[in-house]
Amino acid sequence: MASVRLTGITKQYEGNPVLKGIDLDIADGEFVVLVGPSGCGKSTLLRIVAGLEDVGAGTVEIGGAVCNEVEPAKRGIAMVFQSYALYPHMTVAENMGFALKLAGVPRAEIEERVARAAEILQIGHLLARRPKALSGGQRQRVAIGRAIVRKPEVFLFDEPLSNLDAALRGQTRVELARLHADLKATMIYVTHDQVEAMTLGQKIVVLNGGIVEQVGTPIELYERPANMFVAGFLGSPRMNFLPGALAGEQDVVAHVRLSGGTQVDVAADASSAAPGGAVTLGVRPEHLRVLADGEGGGIPATIALVEYLGDSVIVHAQANGVPEMIAVKCRADDGAWHAGARVRLGFDPGHGHLFDADGAALPRVPQAR
Amino acid sequence: MNKRASLGWTVIGALAALLLAAMWVAPLLWAMSTALRPEHETVSAVFHWLPQEWTLDAFAKVLAAGNVGRWLFNSALVALLVTVVTMALSLMAAFAFSQLRFRGRTLVFALTMLAFLVPFEALLVPLFRMMNQLGLINSYAGIVLPQVVAPVVIYVFKQFFDAIPADFREAAVMDGAGPLRILWSVYLPVSGNIVWAMAIVTFIGAWNNFLWPFIIVTSNDMMTIPLGLTQTYDAFGVRYAQLMAAALLGALPVALAYVVFQRRVTHGFLAATGLKG
Repeated sequence: MASVRLTGITKQYEGNPVLKGIDLDIADGEFVVLVGPSGCGKSTLLRIVAGLEDVGAGTVEIGGAVCNEVEPAKRGIAMVFQSYALYPHMTVAENMGFALKLAGVPRAEIEERVARAAEILQIGHLLARRPKALSGGQRQRVAIGRAIVRKPEVFLFDEPLSNLDAALRGQTRVELARLHADLKATMIYVTHDQVEAMTLGQKIVVLNGGIVEQVGTPIELYERPANMFVAGFLGSPRMNFLPGALAGEQDVVAHVRLSGGTQVDVAADASSAAPGGAVTLGVRPEHLRVLADGEGGGIPATIALVEYLGDSVIVHAQANGVPEMIAVKCRADDGAWHAGARVRLGFDPGHGHLFDADGAALPRVPQAR
Repeated sequence: MNKRASLGWTVIGALAALLLAAMWVAPLLWAMSTALRPEHETVSAVFHWLPQEWTLDAFAKVLAAGNVGRWLFNSALVALLVTVVTMALSLMAAFAFSQLRFRGRTLVFALTMLAFLVPFEALLVPLFRMMNQLGLINSYAGIVLPQVVAPVVIYVFKQFFDAIPADFREAAVMDGAGPLRILWSVYLPVSGNIVWAMAIVTFIGAWNNFLWPFIIVTSNDMMTIPLGLTQTYDAFGVRYAQLMAAALLGALPVALAYVVFQRRVTHGFLAATGLKG
């Protein structure tokens, strides 16, 4: 296995910058997920690592060796494509052994390696079939098997689960995580699905518009997002953003006057923000709650929509001065709400996030778990 | 539309199709009928669709006299060589135009397609001079080489290759395949039906080609069957039964080939059009 280092990676398509100076270190054996919205450059970055795209500027190092001019097949990598890209005229065994055949590996060894990979992925009974006779999940496993037999230094996955239905996606996610644990391989995984990113990645790289917004573990990105983009991208329903102004601060508590007039406290260090300056309060739906009648304070709002999800309920409420509806995630047995009801929404100051006028997160005060 | 009107249109359509089929097949049937009757019946004043006396005499005389066997061999060899070389060159050219990125690609492709606009007849003199300078008059190479450039075949293959997902090529690149290997191991098998269709059409065209062999060949032993038939006419005078027998013998191999490969041709054209069929 090998580490991967990207330094100053830049790429343009017909004058339009797609990647704007990406620096990234991936340790040996690490499972790194590149996540971001469509068009952010994550697939382009993956293809540059694979050698399928030329680098505009910067260097790609795999296992300590610069690979900019090295052919894809000689970089010690294997790739699983979004469409699986299984050769339709070849059997599963032939698909999996094609790269080894091209490399001149003896037939006996090809058969042995294919059989071993097939055993790991439980597709030994499919070796004589052609891709059109396979289900989506089976094709997915064959595509992964084709990568495994090559014993690469680095595995690359380009949105491999996007063509699967929701149930199969969940199941395959677990299998991929287990595969990583078994092989202890370096894996770079591209997805636009934040659930895949959060569940699979040891490290997540959030990309937006060709730049890296933040790199960190799933917990770091979720609890300490660097800016509003990362905060809003991870988490479902997404974080609520309430515009306001900094009314003052005391110790490590910032007082924020929201646009609707309500003043709330947030456990954040706002010393770098100008008093009275525009800030944005961020609160995740699961950290908001509908206050009971006897409780004081809170943000006044009117319930617009209630979504029942079985074990939980999403209450969408409209508050003065907040352009978008606020989502509150409650347990299904927490109460009964209906559209039109006037409520007050509260949260623990330690669960609030504060963002400055540029969208950058102000330092949060660590909370005891 | 009610059922009676629909039935009426179906009957009209069927009758029209039968009429067109009859017009198309009538000359062939007449040729077969002529070849199977004695020579004196072919100039009889009384018209008979079918021979009054059935005989294979015309076929026997054609095979015994003239050089039909040699001409058939020449046609088969030339058609086969033209087909194989055309397919090889067209596939490689189409793959390059479709999948490779190189400076001037668009210009070269445009020039290749422009060649399609030039009628072959306009190239007869320069081609003849070229073959003469190369010493290829009356040679298989001289007959074959000018026929292996087929812009329309390149175009058909390129369109087909364009429709093949790029992931296949990229996966093959990741597996370590070079361009020729990708063409041979991935694109060619995937394009099987369209290649068969183009190959059969090319084979038939090369087999039936009269003009270029007529220009480049002067030796009786190097003639192809369409050219040889004109010699047959001269040699036999107005021997219609033997003329039709020779023509049928010349057309028979290609007809048989088409019958054998008809399904591949149909599938190939369907694949080219994107219809499921």
